[in-house]
Amino acid sequence: METLWIVLLGLLTAGYFALAGFDYGTALLFRLLGRDDRERTRALGAMTPFVLGNEVWLVAAVGVLFGAFPRLEGELLSGHHTVFVLIVTGLVLFTASVQLRGTNPAWDGPLIAGALAVAIGWGWLAADLTGAPPLLWAAGVVVLFALHGGTFVAWRLPGHAGHRARVLARSLVLPSALFVPAAVLLADPVRHSTPGLVGAAAVLVLVLGAGVTTGRTAFLCTAVACALPIPVVFAAQDVVGPETMAHGTTLSVLTPVVFVVLPLVLLFQFATWWMVRVRHA
Amino acid sequence: MDPLGLARTQFATTTSFHFLFVLLTLGLVTLVAVMQTRFTLTRTPVLERMTRFWGRIYVVNYALGIATGIVMEFQFGLNWSGLSTYAGDVFGAPLAIETLVAFFLESTFLGLWIFGWGRLNRWAHLALIWLVTVTAYASAFWIMVANGFLQHPVGYEEHDGVLRLVDLGALLANPTFTAAFPHVVGAALTVGGVFVVGVSAFHFLRRTPEVDFFRRSLRLGVVTTALATPFLIGAGIAQFPVINHLQPGKMKAMPGLGIPLSFMMLIGVVLLLASWITLPLLARDWIVRLRFPLYLMVFSIPLPFIAAIGGWVVREVGRQPWLVYGLLRTEDAMSPVSATSMLISFLAFTGVFAALAVADWVLISRIARRGPEPETAPQPVSALALAL
Repeated sequence: METLWIVLLGLLTAGYFALAGFDYGTALLFRLLGRDDRERTRALGAMTPFVLGNEVWLVAAVGVLFGAFPRLEGELLSGHHTVFVLIVTGLVLFTASVQLRGTNPAWDGPLIAGALAVAIGWGWLAADLTGAPPLLWAAGVVVLFALHGGTFVAWRLPGHAGHRARVLARSLVLPSALFVPAAVLLADPVRHSTPGLVGAAAVLVLVLGAGVTTGRTAFLCTAVACALPIPVVFAAQDVVGPETMAHGTTLSVLTPVVFVVLPLVLLFQFATWWMVRVRHA
Repeated sequence: MDPLGLARTQFATTTSFHFLFVLLTLGLVTLVAVMQTRFTLTRTPVLERMTRFWGRIYVVNYALGIATGIVMEFQFGLNWSGLSTYAGDVFGAPLAIETLVAFFLESTFLGLWIFGWGRLNRWAHLALIWLVTVTAYASAFWIMVANGFLQHPVGYEEHDGVLRLVDLGALLANPTFTAAFPHVVGAALTVGGVFVVGVSAFHFLRRTPEVDFFRRSLRLGVVTTALATPFLIGAGIAQFPVINHLQPGKMKAMPGLGIPLSFMMLIGVVLLLASWITLPLLARDWIVRLRFPLYLMVFSIPLPFIAAIGGWVVREVGRQPWLVYGLLRTEDAMSPVSATSMLISFLAFTGVFAALAVADWVLISRIARRGPEPETAPQPVSALALAL
């Protein structure tokens, strides 16, 4: 029972970073992807159909955190108060600006600022947990998300914007790859080094893999590379322990809910992807 | 202000803003679902255009409202970690169900509804808006279960200074939940009805050529308000015996609570009378020809929102000094964070929320004033679908 909930929390968190990661990444890059505003709108528009579905993975993760790990929820959030205020403020700014922008570039500033704040916030949290320099992690997560946004647009959009995205993504592979060993070497000793090292190695391989592949494969590489860091840091520092979990009755109430909801979400989100799928001519 | 005052003011402000978004979302989605059902059954083109126009306003409000919901969810852990430590096992369960069943599913369904427009089979597309509606009400249901527990804790046992859930059924049968939930549903439907009536009346005053479009909208809004207000008021009155029995100190807890309460009740009664007087005047468009009532309709748009905030203030302020009634004091639930951290979050969140509310209303009133687009050039239902 305990393992199930730890796996579930990890899955939802990983899902959030894999999906919302390209939301933020596209927001960071799209100004560079078009020669004029019409092209930029189109680059951004490759991502917007998925925003609602992507961002709610975090909402679900925090819901599970509250319901199944109540003592961790309070401790984690209040213990990193300013970091989470930054993340949440960035999230609000980002979500609202995506909606408000439409074809109006006046919202580009708040949109990019929101995405940047969220990325920096998650990096800062990981740095706080591992003792590595916050600046390194902040830059690392920003670069990782941008890389993910790049492979996403490169996969989804044909023509100039897609080509520019591919070039930009390629140029972000090396900085992303350098960030991984730096984050490992500059961290304090962690509680469980094995998951930490295995996770870091996986991220490194995936980032390099994104550099030598194209299209959907490159996108899947960066998706997993974005999904891993925060859950790996949590695992290495043993953040999610059974002692923080809710008791039996609460978990048995929540379990059937999860088994109904999760397959439904996967099915319907897959339907959204299928409906706006890339049509190869 | 001390950290406790800041944390409380922050919660009150953000929750009030959040509630404004939620009410319009719940009310509007119901009316949009009714419009789309009638379109799917009759294939009348004007009904499709109505679904699109009101649906667009709904989606804007939802997408900005979701941002406020994210903040609400984080705020418990950020500023009130004492609540999750002490009562998280019980209070967290309905909250987790809410985020999974409602938030997670609702957004997924809505995303598909937006992009399925014109791509999906029309019955499948109709089913989606009803799934969005059902999950939206499920959200209100579970949040009120959680809130009902704070008002009157049931279904728990205390072990080693921490509450454990022993009976979910007791949470669902909690009188402070069962009495309040119908009242909230009535309030949401009233907000939706009055909003649609007000915007339609505005277009009659401006003599927009879309007479059939706004006549149908106005009628739907008036009928909704006329049906919702008796239910709303009845459910409201039915709460008094529950409160007197379970929270006898509520009305005395804070002097001055009687004022928002009586103001809320006054607005409820006025809307009830106004909607029932309007019903017979819908025949032969008398209400439009009289013209004067149209002004009243436009000015009524904010009334149910004001009433809802009044009702919420009475419910939540009346709970003080308890966070979980009789078990956990508000001051004991606050996170151990510095005054500076609290000030930063207070400024960040209230600033962002105020900006969101302004953006929401500016955008909604722009779409509402512009009216439906010409039949020949339909626009996508959401800006999120623009580039497709």
